[in-house]
Amino acid sequence: MNTFLPASRRRFGKLLVATCVAAAFGAAPALAQTPSELAAAAAKEGKLVIYGVTDNEQANHLIREFRAQYPAVQVEYSNMSTTELYNRFISESAAGASADVTWSSAMDLQVKLVNDGYAQPHKSAETAKLPDWANWKNEAFGTTYEPVGFVYNKRLVPAADVPQSHADFVRLLSAQADKYKGKVTTYDPEKSGVGFMLVTQDKQVNGAGFNDLLKAFGGVAVRVQGATGTMMERIASGENLIGYNLNAAYALTRARKDPSLGIVLPKDYTLVLSRVMFIAKGARHPNAAKLWVDFVLSKKGQEIIANKADLYAIRGDVEGETTASGLKKQLGDALRPVPIGTGLLTYLDQAKRLDFIKQWNGAVKAK
Amino acid sequence: MTDKTILTVDDLALAYGSNPILKGVSMQLRRGEVVSLLGPSGSGKTTLLRAVAGLEQPHEGRVKIAGRTIYDGAAGIDVPAEKRDLGLVFQSYALWPHKTVFDNVAYPLKLRKVGSAEIAERVQAALKNLGLAHLAERYPHQLSGGQQQRVSIARALVYNPPVILLDEPLSNLDAKMREEARAWLRNLIVEMQLSALVVTHDQSEAMAMSDRILLLNGGVIEQQGTPQEMYSQPKTLFVADFMGSNNILKGRVAEIRGGEACVEVGEGLRLWGQRRNDAAVGQEVSVVVRVEQVRLAEGPAEHRVGIDLATSMFLGDRFEYVFHAGSALLRAWGSRQEASGRRWLEFPPDAVWVF
Amino acid sequence: MVAALALSVFFPLGLVFYQSVLSGPFFMPAARLSLEAFAFIFDDPDFWSATKNTLIIAVGMSVIAIPLGAILAFIMVRTDLPGRRWLETPILIPIFVSPVVLGFGYVVSLGPVGFFSVWFEQLFGSVPWNIYSMTSIVLIAGLTHVPHVYLYSSSALRNLGSDVEEAARLSGASPFRVARDVSIPMVSPALLYVGVLVFFLGFEIFGLPLILGDPEGHLVLTTYLYKLTNKLGTPSYHLMAAVATCIIAVTFPLVLLQRVLLKSAQRFVAVKGKSARQRRLALGGWKWVALALIGAWLVLTIVVPVAGVALRSVVSSWGAGINLLEVLTLDHFRAVFEEDTMIRSILNSVLIGTLGGAVAVGGYLLIGLATHRKPDGLSRFVDYVVLTPRAIPGLMAGLAVFWVFLFVPFLAPLRSTLFSVWFAYAVVWLAYGMRLIQSALMQVGPELEEAGRLVGASRARVSRDITVPLIRNGLLGSWLLIFMIFEREYSTGVYLLSPGTEVIGAQIVSLWASGAVDVVAALSLINMLLVGCGLALALRFGVKLHD
Repeated sequence: MNTFLPASRRRFGKLLVATCVAAAFGAAPALAQTPSELAAAAAKEGKLVIYGVTDNEQANHLIREFRAQYPAVQVEYSNMSTTELYNRFISESAAGASADVTWSSAMDLQVKLVNDGYAQPHKSAETAKLPDWANWKNEAFGTTYEPVGFVYNKRLVPAADVPQSHADFVRLLSAQADKYKGKVTTYDPEKSGVGFMLVTQDKQVNGAGFNDLLKAFGGVAVRVQGATGTMMERIASGENLIGYNLNAAYALTRARKDPSLGIVLPKDYTLVLSRVMFIAKGARHPNAAKLWVDFVLSKKGQEIIANKADLYAIRGDVEGETTASGLKKQLGDALRPVPIGTGLLTYLDQAKRLDFIKQWNGAVKAK
Repeated sequence: MTDKTILTVDDLALAYGSNPILKGVSMQLRRGEVVSLLGPSGSGKTTLLRAVAGLEQPHEGRVKIAGRTIYDGAAGIDVPAEKRDLGLVFQSYALWPHKTVFDNVAYPLKLRKVGSAEIAERVQAALKNLGLAHLAERYPHQLSGGQQQRVSIARALVYNPPVILLDEPLSNLDAKMREEARAWLRNLIVEMQLSALVVTHDQSEAMAMSDRILLLNGGVIEQQGTPQEMYSQPKTLFVADFMGSNNILKGRVAEIRGGEACVEVGEGLRLWGQRRNDAAVGQEVSVVVRVEQVRLAEGPAEHRVGIDLATSMFLGDRFEYVFHAGSALLRAWGSRQEASGRRWLEFPPDAVWVF
Repeated sequence: MVAALALSVFFPLGLVFYQSVLSGPFFMPAARLSLEAFAFIFDDPDFWSATKNTLIIAVGMSVIAIPLGAILAFIMVRTDLPGRRWLETPILIPIFVSPVVLGFGYVVSLGPVGFFSVWFEQLFGSVPWNIYSMTSIVLIAGLTHVPHVYLYSSSALRNLGSDVEEAARLSGASPFRVARDVSIPMVSPALLYVGVLVFFLGFEIFGLPLILGDPEGHLVLTTYLYKLTNKLGTPSYHLMAAVATCIIAVTFPLVLLQRVLLKSAQRFVAVKGKSARQRRLALGGWKWVALALIGAWLVLTIVVPVAGVALRSVVSSWGAGINLLEVLTLDHFRAVFEEDTMIRSILNSVLIGTLGGAVAVGGYLLIGLATHRKPDGLSRFVDYVVLTPRAIPGLMAGLAVFWVFLFVPFLAPLRSTLFSVWFAYAVVWLAYGMRLIQSALMQVGPELEEAGRLVGASRARVSRDITVPLIRNGLLGSWLLIFMIFEREYSTGVYLLSPGTEVIGAQIVSLWASGAVDVVAALSLINMLLVGCGLALALRFGVKLHD
């Protein structure tokens, strides 16, 4: 009998039935699940699939603790690049189902996915603890607070040269263009989504200073790379001397093992990234996914993020050097977290994006 | 077609792409008979044999073995090679290098699901028959050429095929062994009463081994008959030329008298011979005379020609004389050394053929 | 079976073509038929500069590799160079080492602050080379492709009678004049073939420019394709497919041309076949020159990059002003063996090489047998089907296979298993594998098989009892070669990488992109060890590395 109804009518019909059933049994709405109920439902699902860009090594700290708390839930974590994650997620979603949770530092792509309706909402005691800018529609959650700065080679860059602000940086490059020619590195905005996002944020935050920055880059023939690791490798080896817009969280990890790396968070403004996590609308293990999100945002999860995973905790109630509160003590108002929201979508518009890349290439590649 | 016919090929045609190889060949093989397919390379003789074996794909005609149709182009019948139940001895012997002599010979029986005890018995019998009993455990590469050939024959005979096909069976042996092997093979075929189809390009081999010869030329049968018929009554120049050692002279018909014609071969050189086609006076013809039919004579007479002897060569059992006949060379055989100079040669008119 | 084969080849290829004429990813409802992808790339200056660079590399590679390879082959095959036997294997190593590993090795050895560069600078004051320049890329690409030329020209030279050379010697030519005026011109059809092959490989080259072209932004078509993953921020599958289509438009005719040339080259050699006894030319004093040349080449193409990788895998940092002895560490290997995915990728690589290689060889054998000595239309069709995947860049083939496993319902459950990677590898290397199998099959005399038919065995039975046992050694050799090729492969697995399908090659590309250089070094070394094991085994069993 349904066959002849248009699709929308049918869906409406189903909704109606569901509502009636819910009413008849007086069932509680899904939102009001208690943590123990959630854990039980997750245990029943028994599995959780996460796509993330965080290195296995770091993610494993979280996963290990999660497994210790909820041994019934198997975690399958796939580490991939931001674009790969996006591509894989949408193609798999088109084919049926993909990961339950995605966790990526490409904030713009994550927001786009949420905006395109790939996420489902989740509200809990833990999500409530997030700052407003890090919780978008209860669907996209910022999980970390990662400052971006300069990384330099301590052996080869004299202390006097080390820039403390963006203006310092531009001055250094213009004043010693010969010394730093071919020795400055940053993200290739064409290859790295994160790099693109950071440099467009720079453009918004830095205003007029941004053009000087581009000019300085052009003057020293900046070397562009696809990833933080490649940049750090080259800075550590001395092939490059200073890196711009490197994620301090990663640099910190490497600097612990490699004394030749130094990190500066600029005093004028420091961009802050947050790894965005959301639960897929078509998640096959929605309860396990919710459990995981709550775990990552919990105090315990955040402590692991800050102290073991070498990322920075976003929750204000976690203390330490590698936390949002720690950074606030150090940099105060200079911190510029990138808010999660539609503002990030601006440069996903093809024409705008290509325009920006053209501007970048025009300035940077000019000799 | 009589009951004795075991293999019938009827109007068989075959082409490689647009290049016709067999242009409608018909032949028969009777039980207990040896037939040779003779011809120059490219005449289609091997192709015919392989088409009978099922290794080549004809597009027209019929092939029947022991009353069973194994190929019929029109009816769409094409029995695959392995179901034709024929024996084939390959030119290269085609022994499987990874199997012992015993296993090589046993394989056809194994395929026919013969019990292993019986296989052992029959293989041993076959090997013994061919004088190979002591070589059963050897591998092919440990055998001489002649031994390999016998293994190959044993393999082709062990399952008693109604017809055995031999592809240039002697060509891989050296010249001296070849004549011995020829006799041995003929004897074997006769003794075992085999029906055999043999491909060869060597006319003496064909004449020695077979009851009948089919001479192929350009994909058709030029002539067939007993070795004697083929040798002494060739119907065409091609057959006359292919069989035996010949003197062939080009000339023009000068005169015709009944069945005989007089041909002017060069200045003053005129020969009388049998007319083999209807060439008229003035037409260009070829004159063929077997070398052994030309005789050195004492003096002038009818059918004798005066001619210059250039040299004589010793061949062991005889001498060969070489004469200048205009621009051509003429050969004749004799029993003693001759000095150069003018000689008389006799051309018996019934041994001179005009084509 | 032929249908399955054709489907495995043409379905992914068709997807690529289809994707190239859509306005978005083919699985998105918003995608519609359009040529905007082509319009975009033709409008993109990067595409043209990538095309230009690709052409430069392809031409440069040919110019460098062909003469050097031909001379090398002449020296190895036709002269009395001392130590020929020992040199035969090292000469072929570059074929089996992943270009990504090589490229990485060059950065660490000869990069601006590479191990060798630093030493050189200490000794001579400055470093005259720039490893990231186009010149270097072309040079390295050329030098690493010398073995390909060597392979084909040496087998042609082996078939050449030495009488023609002796005639030249007697007329007064020196050994190198003989090579230049007689031997090498006589194998020119083989050289022409390999010239097209090298040019073709130049079009598909990916690993070297990926690593060496990055810092100065030298793109080639394949790296441009790879870059498109990200260029628009969101997936640009249609753009990638359009680039792949452009690449195929060039490579497919080249593949067909190779086929034609191979036939004529074989015919040429066959005429000269059955050469008389070969006597080697005495080099005399020239032998030191020859040895020095070969030695220099080996050092540059093998020792330098491999040493770089090996060294990088045991130090925690490097570069100017670092005492390497102080930073020695085994941490990178420890990191590899502590991490499940790394261990999995090593195990998977071994598995895909050994078992996967064997199954692939089995599959190639079945196809080979099905069309073996059957000159019908179907066999000709299979011949072309088999060649087709050769024209698709591995990266794109991997992506297309990913789509196939994503959207074909009965394959979907296999996507996250090694099977999908194996399938992609088997299809990508179909032409190579079939060539190995076919050349083994052609060694079997046709009459051996016909004899089997005549005594009553069906085709299948003949294959089982006669053909296959006779090519056992050829099959073992093919398996070892496929093993090494599968270990070396890197680009095909890139888009198939997921938990369960990690293989070292793809893992290296992915880790390189994310900058985990320590682990890349350790994995590269492990990868080379695996290939080395295959090589050692191949030598142990006397497998000829070439035909």
